Amino acid sequence: MLQSNRLRRRSGAVVVTAALALVLGACTSASNNGGASASPHSTTPLVIGASISLTGDFADSGKAVQRGYDLWAQEVNAKGGVLGRQVQMKLVDDASSPTQVVSNYQNLINRDKVDLVFGPFSSLLTVPASQVAKRYAYSFLEPAGGGPKVFAQNLDNLFFVQPAPVVKSGDVFADWVLSLPADQQPKTAAYTELDDPFASPIAENIRARFEAAGIKTVYKEVYPAETQDFSAIMSKVVAANPDVLVGGTQNEDAYAQVKTLVQLKFSPKFMFLSNGANSPLEFPSKVGAQNTQGIMSAGDWFPGSTAFGSDAFAAAYIKTYGGSADTIDNSSAEAFACGQLIEAVATKTGKIDNATIISSLHQGTWPTLLGDLSWGPNGAPSGSFNLIQWQGGKLVPVFPAAIAKAAPIYPKPNWGG
Amino acid sequence: MHALIQGVILGILTGGVYALMASGQTLIFGIMKVVNLAQGAMVIMASYLAYQLFTSFGLDPFLAIPVTTVIMFGLGVGVELLFLRPLRREDKSELSLLVTFAVALLIEGFLSVSWGTTYRSINTGYANSSWTVAGYQITVVRFWAFALSLVALGLLFWLLNRTRFGRAVRATVQNPESARLLGVEAQRVSALGFGLGAATAAAAGSVYGLLYPFYSGSHYDLISRLLSIVVLGGLGSVGGAVIAAVIVSTSSAIVAATISPAWSEMTFFVILILVLLIRPQGLFGSVSRGAI
Repeated sequence: MLQSNRLRRRSGAVVVTAALALVLGACTSASNNGGASASPHSTTPLVIGASISLTGDFADSGKAVQRGYDLWAQEVNAKGGVLGRQVQMKLVDDASSPTQVVSNYQNLINRDKVDLVFGPFSSLLTVPASQVAKRYAYSFLEPAGGGPKVFAQNLDNLFFVQPAPVVKSGDVFADWVLSLPADQQPKTAAYTELDDPFASPIAENIRARFEAAGIKTVYKEVYPAETQDFSAIMSKVVAANPDVLVGGTQNEDAYAQVKTLVQLKFSPKFMFLSNGANSPLEFPSKVGAQNTQGIMSAGDWFPGSTAFGSDAFAAAYIKTYGGSADTIDNSSAEAFACGQLIEAVATKTGKIDNATIISSLHQGTWPTLLGDLSWGPNGAPSGSFNLIQWQGGKLVPVFPAAIAKAAPIYPKPNWGG
Repeated sequence: MHALIQGVILGILTGGVYALMASGQTLIFGIMKVVNLAQGAMVIMASYLAYQLFTSFGLDPFLAIPVTTVIMFGLGVGVELLFLRPLRREDKSELSLLVTFAVALLIEGFLSVSWGTTYRSINTGYANSSWTVAGYQITVVRFWAFALSLVALGLLFWLLNRTRFGRAVRATVQNPESARLLGVEAQRVSALGFGLGAATAAAAGSVYGLLYPFYSGSHYDLISRLLSIVVLGGLGSVGGAVIAAVIVSTSSAIVAATISPAWSEMTFFVILILVLLIRPQGLFGSVSRGAI
């Protein structure tokens, strides 16, 4: 009896709180609709909110995003801020949870009344978060949600701050291979693909291009995420003896594929791994630096890039967080680029509010440290990634020619060479 | 055909490692009638210990085994004394499922806090090496892992069959009441037996860390495989666990090579269901008493 009374009292309190929250929410959202519209050169700080995964599954990448956002704020403030307003980042942890991320953006927009919001880490969190931003007509620059579900929402306020949607990140490899003289192109191909929306479609896009160009598919396998032992899959690759191996991979499976091929003593003439091989420190430490030579992957930012503000970013990063340019996570560069875009819009229009950001970014191309970016109506970027290759223990951009720092090495040298 | 034989070779070698892990699991069940759901977590913990000894001191994971074995033996005895002994006797088996699962979660939490949740792997100089024998590749790590498992299993059999402690263990497995009447200190046998099970996890952990990347949550996958091996072999039968481990890893290699690697993970469980339907006590288990 006592318990049921207490329960009833508690549920009463919940109802009252919920009603209050609804009323308050309605008020604040009405007053806040359209986001910041402060006059230029006002001295109030420009508050930018974002939910970051500081704990949970995405914690490592989330922290890299955090470093990018904070570094941009620090740098822009040193230059006098955006239109004279000092930037304040308000970053909250979502524990990698798609429900927490919704509460976080609602709180940032309604309770904290931030002027602008930036995106969280991963497509999983970007989809629900971008819906909240859309509801309140906030622009949504996001550095790390590039999966098909993000663009299927058809949101006009969303901008994925990378050169291309994730599933198209491998297209640059197909571009390069098919640009080779016919007698140097591979004749046969094998595809080993992780069953994951960010891995398998990348390889499938390449396969469609290769097959259309007459490169014969001699083996294809889509393996489940729990696959631990790659000896069976790789034994079949060896038996099929392909000229080119395209791995639609994430991280651990990419390392395992390389290690197993080394053990089986089979080195294809061309090898592309969509992910894993583009991590500058992890990859050589997991597969052995001597086995990296000639392996290709795709990336956007790279140390030594001559893209807009890249040198300044790398220098500031090393000064603030230590390490060397090779240790910078691309997620930090992508997060930093979100800030660059805000600066660029402010400089070009003399205004900084959500409506201006949305309408401006839908027109023309915008220089960032990731290269020049432009977007389709659903926020999907219309550029392409860079082809990068391991040469002498380092990741080097090799294609397209405009950004190449070295000629591609092919055929891929044998393992250990 | 080449891919099939290559797969089977590597499957048999891997089976040795699973045999080692499962032998500890089945031993604990045999002695104490406790299904130890923490066995997987103990293996992963040992992998972390081997990883740390390798990265901090450059100690080879195979040479680290004496060190990790002592630590894990101590941990096993501690778990038995702290968590399992206080359980009331009559429903010990059922309660032990919950308790050992809690221990697994405790270990997982400890590993997450100490080492984070990113994947680790032990990359020794010979991690990617292999020998070519008649056109087939025998990977160095798997070969030594298999050899080590044979040695460890040999030691275990010697301990169980040729020592006073082993006789006490076997007596307890066969008939705890009679063993007690004959002066076997069942509680001491239980504690040492649990420690011994944990010690096999130590040896297996070093090898597991060499073969596969791991993180604190890897034990869930591991324990489901171990349980199916142990049930297949017959609960409590160390010999049965060894044979079952080799059967499942070889058959999953064959399925991977002939049908698809995507189906190979399921082979474990298909075999398990078949055995439970046809021979519920497992291949080498007996209905009335434990068998070692």
